[in-house]
Amino acid sequence: PSIPEGVPSDIKTNKDGVLVDEFGLPQIPAT
Amino acid sequence: MTHWFHRNPLKATAPVSFSFYGVAASPAANKICNDLKAARARLLEMFTDPTCNPEIMKNATDSYFSLLQGFIVSLDGTTQENKMRFIQNFKWTDTLQGNTPSAQQDAVFELVSMTFNVGLWYSKFASRLAGKENITETEAKEVHKSLRIAAGIFKHLKDAHIPRLITPAEKGRDLELRVIDTYIIQCQAEAQEVTIARAIELKHNASLIGALAFETANFYKKADHTLNSLEPDYTSKWRKYFQLKQAFYMAYAYCYNGQMLLASDKCGEAVRSLREAEKYYTKAESLCKEYRQTKGPGSTAKPSEQLFFTKLGGLIKNTLEKCERENGFIYFQKVPQDPPDLELKASYGLVEPIAFEFPSVSPQCTPEVYATFDLTKNHKDDKAKPKQEEEVKPMKEPDLKTQKDTGCSIS
Repeated sequence: PSIPEGVPSDIKTNKDGVLVDEFGLPQIPAT
Repeated sequence: MTHWFHRNPLKATAPVSFSFYGVAASPAANKICNDLKAARARLLEMFTDPTCNPEIMKNATDSYFSLLQGFIVSLDGTTQENKMRFIQNFKWTDTLQGNTPSAQQDAVFELVSMTFNVGLWYSKFASRLAGKENITETEAKEVHKSLRIAAGIFKHLKDAHIPRLITPAEKGRDLELRVIDTYIIQCQAEAQEVTIARAIELKHNASLIGALAFETANFYKKADHTLNSLEPDYTSKWRKYFQLKQAFYMAYAYCYNGQMLLASDKCGEAVRSLREAEKYYTKAESLCKEYRQTKGPGSTAKPSEQLFFTKLGGLIKNTLEKCERENGFIYFQKVPQDPPDLELKASYGLVEPIAFEFPSVSPQCTPEVYATFDLTKNHKDDKAKPKQEEEVKPMKEPDLKTQKDTGCSIS
């Protein structure tokens, strides 16, 4: 193994189960 | 310029020939030595090649480190130290301490020092990309990812490899805890800056942006404090950068906190929060001047004249005017004397380093080939060992000019 890719996909969830983007921001902006 | 990051110079090193006449007693052993020399030279070249990208860098690092591991990990099935670990002397300068190198006859020192430069390269690649005038969403992701990789590299070195060095790093050297910790925090904080820009672009709510800005300011504060027991001669400029970024992101935090208070009809407190934002912004401006006037390693820029900086000034001014107007016409609330507490805890956008691992040992380094390295033939004269104080030429880094600012930001 070497340097991991880091950004596996566009959609992932944070520890609270909220869908977040690559930057760790919620997928749906809560303006 | 979308973002601006301070960068210290790359570490420089003396050439290494890996010529072990008599010791490398088989063609395969000789080939390993020749390949090591070529892979090292190529990797060093990549550090200063402006066309190098993460893919090229990864190939160059894997080639060199997979071979170098053959001089570090045990290849004969025993738990004993690799017999080749201490055969070659390596010299490396430090990012904060000019051209006088440290020297260690230890392949782990080489592994750690070279990898440190790989981390620096990722942070410089990110900085170059982030400084562009029209940064795209894909590029912003690349910047974010590169900074997380850099943080992961520094963290891995700190946790797993620096403790293996026989000679501990001296005060203020790159491999010393305070310095490497500062690099980790800096990379995380800068990645969060990219996230803040993204959150603003996507119009996330003020509490999310304010909380992330506050956490980022705290990261910069921590980085500044981590360096405070080191010599000011070589840390002052870097510390000024942390101080100005801290003030800048405190201004951000109070600005968005003010917006949040206004949205909850706490207009008096909102006015006070915005006034505090103004205070921090003025402080950041003056720190920008001090940064420019402070001598020390690293880049020189005029951050306070860049759009990313002046834009915040405009935002604070407009938001404060709006809050004062609304308070005068609608709310009639008393403006408190003390600024509101920033009880902001970020739930989104905090940056964690990306875990880094070295490649496995090259298939060239088999136990059979390893057995053909004969250390009894090593007649190297100790007196011929390079002197520690000899200077090493600095890396010729590409000239990174500040590009014209068009006002575009990441989307």
